[in-house]
Amino acid sequence: MKRRSIVALCLVAVLAAAVTTATTLGATKKATAGSITVWLQTDAQSGWPGVVAAANQQFQSDHPGTTVNVQYQNWGDHLQKFDATLAGGGGPDVIEMGNTEMTKYMAAGAFAALDRSSFDNSSSWLKGLAASGAYGGKTYGVPYYAGSRVVTYRKDLFQKAGIAKLPATTAQYVADAKRLAAKNQKKGFSPIYTAGTDWYFAMSFVFDYGGSIAQQVSGKWKGMLNSPKSIAGLAAYKAFFLATSKASKTTDETHPNPYDVYAQGLAASMIGPSWFTCCVGKAYTPNTGQFVMPGHVKGQAIPGFLGGSDLAVPVTSSNKSLAADWIKDFTSTSSEKALQAKGNIPNATNLLGSSVNERAAARSWFVPTAKHWVDVENGNILRNMLAQILTNKLSIKQAAASASDNIASVLNQP
Amino acid sequence: MAAAAETSFDRSRRRRRFWARKARGSVPYGLILPILVVIAVILGYPLYWLVKLSTERYGLFDLIRHSGVSVGLANYRSVLHDPVFWHTLVRTIVFTAANVVLTMVIGTLLALLLVQVSTVVRILLTSGLVLVWSMPVVVAVQIWYWMTNYQNGVVNYVLTKLGVGDFFQHDWYATTFSQLGLTTLLIVWGSLPFVVITLYAGLAQVPHDLVEAAEVDGARPWRVFRDITLPILRPILLILTSLSIIWDFGVFTQPYLLIGQAKITTGNYLMSIYLFEEGYFKSDYGRGAAISLLMLLMVAALSIVYVRKMVRIGEAQ
Repeated sequence: MKRRSIVALCLVAVLAAAVTTATTLGATKKATAGSITVWLQTDAQSGWPGVVAAANQQFQSDHPGTTVNVQYQNWGDHLQKFDATLAGGGGPDVIEMGNTEMTKYMAAGAFAALDRSSFDNSSSWLKGLAASGAYGGKTYGVPYYAGSRVVTYRKDLFQKAGIAKLPATTAQYVADAKRLAAKNQKKGFSPIYTAGTDWYFAMSFVFDYGGSIAQQVSGKWKGMLNSPKSIAGLAAYKAFFLATSKASKTTDETHPNPYDVYAQGLAASMIGPSWFTCCVGKAYTPNTGQFVMPGHVKGQAIPGFLGGSDLAVPVTSSNKSLAADWIKDFTSTSSEKALQAKGNIPNATNLLGSSVNERAAARSWFVPTAKHWVDVENGNILRNMLAQILTNKLSIKQAAASASDNIASVLNQP
Repeated sequence: MAAAAETSFDRSRRRRRFWARKARGSVPYGLILPILVVIAVILGYPLYWLVKLSTERYGLFDLIRHSGVSVGLANYRSVLHDPVFWHTLVRTIVFTAANVVLTMVIGTLLALLLVQVSTVVRILLTSGLVLVWSMPVVVAVQIWYWMTNYQNGVVNYVLTKLGVGDFFQHDWYATTFSQLGLTTLLIVWGSLPFVVITLYAGLAQVPHDLVEAAEVDGARPWRVFRDITLPILRPILLILTSLSIIWDFGVFTQPYLLIGQAKITTGNYLMSIYLFEEGYFKSDYGRGAAISLLMLLMVAALSIVYVRKMVRIGEAQ
């Protein structure tokens, strides 16, 4: 039976006959008893390779002779690769999943249940993250870290523009941006670099104005982007973007990476995860600071997207207990503290400090917890709406209405 | 008695002749048998599973259990009732037509040029074409992406310097038209070498004396091309066109990588991308299989038209 399905799946690939998809997976070696394969996102590779190495060392001293094969993945296609290994074998023993991706896979039975109490600080795990890894009363995902979005800025440029106090409202920030632009006439310079279709940032405006993406009404999902409050938020985003960013109106937040633009000296500030400080370039690192992005009401932060990752053990793993042990080492108190030192939010409330990231997380929003939410993300419904709004292809109302309908129909799929 | 003996003799002789004829008649079949077996194994077996998969509900849950649930033709019905499918089909047909026409016209012109130029230029041109040919698609896409980059693309820079207009931070990927237009450029660029080199080989078969005779009779170059060169090239043009249609109709790598996943929406789908998004991104493999079979049928229908024409040309010759 197994072979049949493998053949069947290979087929879709083959058949796409002329199509020949480029996403051939570097066929992962079958894990032997003496090794486990871990799929982490490249965030760890660029942001905190030392934390990974330390966890591996700890694991290997507990399990002499067992090697850990860490393979770095991209958010864009790691699920397609994972699906292929579910069908064909050779998949990872531990996989990092975005908190918005978990539900679909837990519902399909893709992960092995884990013993929650065996992990450090599990009684005080961050509520939102723990919820994203629980299904039907069982634990399938161990919270790894969370992150809000903050402003990373050039202290020297702010000073030169005569900005003595950090902005307390969005309007003040825009006014500061105008002063920054006046002092930096270089072509293509953004006082605040944000990518046009960075929906994580754009939705913060929607939530800041009291709007939302979708809500469940008597068991059915209803798109909420066309509500008056959401539209006010989208209008505020459009005005903010047009006044402050020279980024492409149709590009996402990884093409290019905002920190690359910043490192080229083409931005006075940028919005993104707090670990962006990793890659701002040697010349600017000493003059780089961070603050919480203000909302439109004075004294209130803009609600930031509370992103986060869970670690899970696929049912196809042949080394489930070793895999769980590795997760224990990677989410141990010392490991989480090291992650915190890199600017991330640790996975448990008892570890929380008062970094800019943690303060930003005090006011946050999260995507609708629906099985098909990940299809909304992958279908780029929100990105497309933002591009339509910023390029004036559609009015805000039209774009929001069409996105709202699309989202409802995707979320209400059986 | 004698008559009876004769009859049985005749009968056995006839039977022997019958078997001999049968054996002789079956030789061709015996000769193509190995290739038939190979095709059956390589194409038929996967195709069988594809058809089966297309009649099943096969999602993530079924993927993990390694078995689907039979749903008859429901996948086909849902695809054929999806407006996105029809929009995508029309877009793909227009896209394919543009790609094929551009490839064939430019390819033919370049091949004719190759015949006319001096040996040195011909070697230079051919080397250039072979270099294009040998470049892996993914690498080519990446380079095109860099060249047309919003932030610091060299195309933007050069166009601005040449005074064509202000292309600083020009967004080449802002509209569906420009996204697919750039993809077309990339595909045509990549498929020219094969077309040009094949046609150039074909042009070598055009008899010189025939062309000279026509010229002596006062035929203009266009007339020579239409009445002498074209008829000789026709079989080659036919096969190149049909191959181009098959390739361009199902092209995936160039549009998917050049436009980029984050910009792929139902508004700029091509068939192969539609298939990929529905099948893989939504983990609906049964539906993906149904779409791929529909694509296969369309390409097969086109191919039949061309194969028949080819056969007719063969018979005429």
